[in-house]
Amino acid sequence: MSALLTMKNIKKSFSGVVALKNAELELNKGEVVALMGENGAGKSTLMKILTGIYSKDEGTVTFEGKEVEYKSVSESEEAGIAIVHQELNMMNDLTVAQNLFIGKERKKGFLIDDAKMVEDAKELFERLNVDINPNVKIGNLTVGKQQMVEIAKAISTNAKVIVFDEPTAALTDSEIEELFKVINDLRDKGTGIIYISHRMDEINVISDKVIVMRDGEYVGTLVTKECTKDDIIKMMVGRTVFMEPKTKSDVGADAEVVLKCENLNRGKHVKDVSFELRKGEILGFSGLMGAGRTEVARLIFGADPMDSGKIFIHGKEVSIKSTKDAVNAGIGYLSEDRKRFGLLVDKSVEENTCISSLEKFTKGLFIDGAKSKTVSEKYVKELKTKTPGVSQIIKKLSGGNQQKVVIAKWLVKDSEILIFDEPTRGIDVGAKSEIYDLMERLVKEGKSIIMISSELPEVLRMSDRVVVMCEGRITGCLDISEASQEGIMTCATNRQGGK
Amino acid sequence: MKKRMLAVAAAGLMAMSLVACGGGSSSGSSEAEKTTAAQADSSKAEETKAEASADGKKINVIAKGFQHQFWKAVEKGAMQAGTDLGVEVSFQGPDNESAIAQQIEYLDAAIAQKPTAICFAALDTQASLGSIQTAMDAGIPIIGFDSGVPDAPAGAIKANASTNNLVAGQLAAKETYELIKDKIEGASGTVRIGVVAQESNSQSIVERTKGFVEEMTKLVGEDKVSVEGHDSLKKEKAGAPVVIDVGIPAEVKDADGAAVASAILEKSDLIAIYGSNEFAANAIITANEGLDKIGEGKVVAVGFDAGKKQLQAIKDGLFAGSVTQDPVQIGYKAVELAVKAANGESVSDVDTGALWYTKDNMEDPKIAPCLYE
Amino acid sequence: MNLKKLFSNQQAVVIAALVVICIVFSLLTDKFLQATTFTNISKSAYYVAFMAIGVTFVISTGGIDLSIGTVAICAALIGGTFMEKGTPMFIVILIMLLVGAVFGLINGILVSHFELPAFIATLGTMMVSRGLGSIVSKTKTISFPQGDSAGAWFREIFMVTKDGGILPKNFPTGFILLAICAIVMAVVLNKTRLGRYILSIGSNKEATRLSGIDVKKYETMAYVFSGVFAALAGLAYVAVFSTAQPNTGNGFELDAIAGVVIGGTSLSGGVGSIVGTIIGVFIMTVLKIGFPYIGVQSHYQLFITGIILVFAVYMDILNRKRKG
Repeated sequence: MSALLTMKNIKKSFSGVVALKNAELELNKGEVVALMGENGAGKSTLMKILTGIYSKDEGTVTFEGKEVEYKSVSESEEAGIAIVHQELNMMNDLTVAQNLFIGKERKKGFLIDDAKMVEDAKELFERLNVDINPNVKIGNLTVGKQQMVEIAKAISTNAKVIVFDEPTAALTDSEIEELFKVINDLRDKGTGIIYISHRMDEINVISDKVIVMRDGEYVGTLVTKECTKDDIIKMMVGRTVFMEPKTKSDVGADAEVVLKCENLNRGKHVKDVSFELRKGEILGFSGLMGAGRTEVARLIFGADPMDSGKIFIHGKEVSIKSTKDAVNAGIGYLSEDRKRFGLLVDKSVEENTCISSLEKFTKGLFIDGAKSKTVSEKYVKELKTKTPGVSQIIKKLSGGNQQKVVIAKWLVKDSEILIFDEPTRGIDVGAKSEIYDLMERLVKEGKSIIMISSELPEVLRMSDRVVVMCEGRITGCLDISEASQEGIMTCATNRQGGK
Repeated sequence: MKKRMLAVAAAGLMAMSLVACGGGSSSGSSEAEKTTAAQADSSKAEETKAEASADGKKINVIAKGFQHQFWKAVEKGAMQAGTDLGVEVSFQGPDNESAIAQQIEYLDAAIAQKPTAICFAALDTQASLGSIQTAMDAGIPIIGFDSGVPDAPAGAIKANASTNNLVAGQLAAKETYELIKDKIEGASGTVRIGVVAQESNSQSIVERTKGFVEEMTKLVGEDKVSVEGHDSLKKEKAGAPVVIDVGIPAEVKDADGAAVASAILEKSDLIAIYGSNEFAANAIITANEGLDKIGEGKVVAVGFDAGKKQLQAIKDGLFAGSVTQDPVQIGYKAVELAVKAANGESVSDVDTGALWYTKDNMEDPKIAPCLYE
Repeated sequence: MNLKKLFSNQQAVVIAALVVICIVFSLLTDKFLQATTFTNISKSAYYVAFMAIGVTFVISTGGIDLSIGTVAICAALIGGTFMEKGTPMFIVILIMLLVGAVFGLINGILVSHFELPAFIATLGTMMVSRGLGSIVSKTKTISFPQGDSAGAWFREIFMVTKDGGILPKNFPTGFILLAICAIVMAVVLNKTRLGRYILSIGSNKEATRLSGIDVKKYETMAYVFSGVFAALAGLAYVAVFSTAQPNTGNGFELDAIAGVVIGGTSLSGGVGSIVGTIIGVFIMTVLKIGFPYIGVQSHYQLFITGIILVFAVYMDILNRKRKG
């Protein structure tokens, strides 16, 4: 039997930089292929070539036995290839149903038949077994629900091939479970599925085979049942990565308290939050989506105004009314959404590295370009940021390297308290461990870190203590020696105020 | 191969400007052709004079407007004079009558071309002084036309070809008075005569308004008239039986004009209304559309100038009549004076005249050419 | 591909366009290539160029300032009213700059602190400044001193009006002032923290804020620059054209913004070029002055400027795509 979809010898370069050297992919009917590789390995580029967003330089794409080349997304959709993007593409002010059928509106004569669209949407959600009202504006849904709509949209086209690009990043466990049911369902009906994810556990559950890419090249194919996690990781990075939980904290109970928060409040997202951060400690913040962890971080950083509460740094109360106050107090914040909140994506590595500490690079009235370049280069080296140079535009770096630039920004500023909000989101395994090493180095050097993370293994591997939040409140504070996945989950679902 | 590239670029832009000129009525295209032709066979520069004499005399006419029908009529007259007298005439005007800077740019550009003479109708004399001085220094005679160049430094303007606007305004008042004489005398309470004018720095519009108001005051009787409304002409007199109510919109915009006209038309004691130029007359017509106050047996409406809308209003009997200048004559006489001045003849001001026209004499061969639409 | 490469450096293209336009005009008429032409071009470029320098800062933050035209004339009218009451010219100039700064500050506060969309906030101040100018001047035309009258010296800032000085009569001294301002502001935009922050705000305001930078302060500063330069433009206008009326400034802002865009500053913010702005303004002015020389009406200047503007923005989009 010939394959449903074959991509062979795909080459692509952007203004001289090679993105794909020799990419390959084969997908059969009724098969789930996991496409694995570090960020920057070329998975997204390959998928963009498949769906007609980019044009390939060389190579062949064969779909249903015919060689094809799509020039736009609408062409590939027409042919039966749908993609669920990692980044959501939604019109926030339109309703769920309107978003679902955008471009494929159901019509009654010349008019749009909204009732029919709502009906169709309901049917679709029933199939997915999710509870979403098709009449609400999509902007009012949680990110997870929005993701489900995006998935429903792809399924609604009755595509023969569906590409899922990190679909679970924003989903809850129950939503993930439903998604997997749907994927299995689609597989049974003969749909070919390409599944991109960094979560090894998911790959094991859902995929039939794993195609691994590295540096724009096809590395090999593994049959999921016959391989272990480590096999895949080895293939991806060429080295073994351990994700063993920490058992014991090195930070003494008598270590100095650098940051103390008392009864922080803001609306319904942050309620009476009090905690302490000690010198040299990594304080993990765990909890479900929407538990209010990011909101707490933004309060401490002065990004949002607080309703009430006190913040002490080195025992002295500080008034933080703006991000500037926070930065001057020695706090640095690494947002979960780097592109929107962390970086100037159109600007260079150098500009981003120095933006928070330009006063250090000012000679008289002018910016000392030579000095800022030297310092930026120093941090590129130290953090092993992969970039052709400090004048490189941030947009062109991979997620992990972008994160390193954000870290460099706060290191240049010499911030002693660093808030890492989902530090490894969208970052591949190799870069992940580098970020972990870096964080460990930082606390050894005397910095203190608050780490917000939704990945329990990450929390358990990195934290000295774990604060767990649920619905705006702190519902637990566990020492790492007594923390377990189960213990954290118990606290994370401990609804005190809810009905 | 730089030369070739240049030639290609030049040809491209030339083609563009030629196409552009094709649609317009200016002499631009023919001039461009001539210049490039001259460029093609002559070696280069330094023969400005030779070229000027070869091309004959050149007069630049800088008007206060361009799109307005009035200026089109002036242009017609100027071009006619150019043909009759064998001189090349280039006619330019700014986009609107607020575009002082643009007019000065045209004037400066004209001076830089060193024409035989310039005909100029200043939007703002103050703003033009520097350029006028430059022209004087360069020995280029300037002839004023239409509203001319009021308060120009002595000797700067050789002569003016213009309507005596004060006299024209008085003519409007006299004709209007004839129509409302009985109403004024038979009135039991106060009666009101409305005046709509255009805010302007130019003397011509001010004088037409002033001529009308002064003459009307004289005809009715000095002690019986109170002039109210706009500050510029105010002469209030409590209890006077005749009120002259002057409205001037803040901006030369049709909507603003209509608003001022409406305010006057809404007053119940109104017996007559006068619009001192096409803008003002149009404002009255627009305002009347909803109010239906003017026409035969109603408020007597009188205008100045002869725009299309205004002519229709006269044909329809909405307007009793209007005073018109003779724009064709203005353009013609201006160029004529310019040629004379350039030849060193002594020149003096010419009144290009004003005429009263009504529904009945619009077709009159003496009047018809002056209705410039 | 070649097309994209060719247009990758917008600045070079814009300079080339200016040169080509000048060459074409000098081929079409031998009257174009003379000193007076340059003086004429400079004189009518000043006011637009000064406004454009200021608004480049605002546009670099991703904002827009529609009030510059009316603020320019409002400043002139307010200054002129003081002048008519006998205030010395030196003080009058300071008053004008202050008026500009105050309007800029108001715009800045409305946009950065009250988070009004820049378009709306400056549309409001555009109307306010126009109204204020009319109120203060009592809707009169205000004439600034010329010739030998007291205070006429300020015109020398922009052009030599008298014979016998060091510089020849009609020498466009304002061009020197313009060049100095352009160089200084280009340095401010590219080499100082203020400029870097302004470009950062245009690139990503929220990320800049989360880098611990007082974005409100710097965004406000951009509008203050815009206001002060608008006032300077008002001064240049009355120096060249001597009179100001309440409705004179209407539409000036669009000329300035068009110049900025032609010069390669991106309307979406983050990228700004003062030198490009100056060249953009001069392209428009050369067309404006050049067409009368060949006997063509101003409508064609508008026609061609419009095409150039659209083309310039398209180049910007091409560049962004190429980089993205």
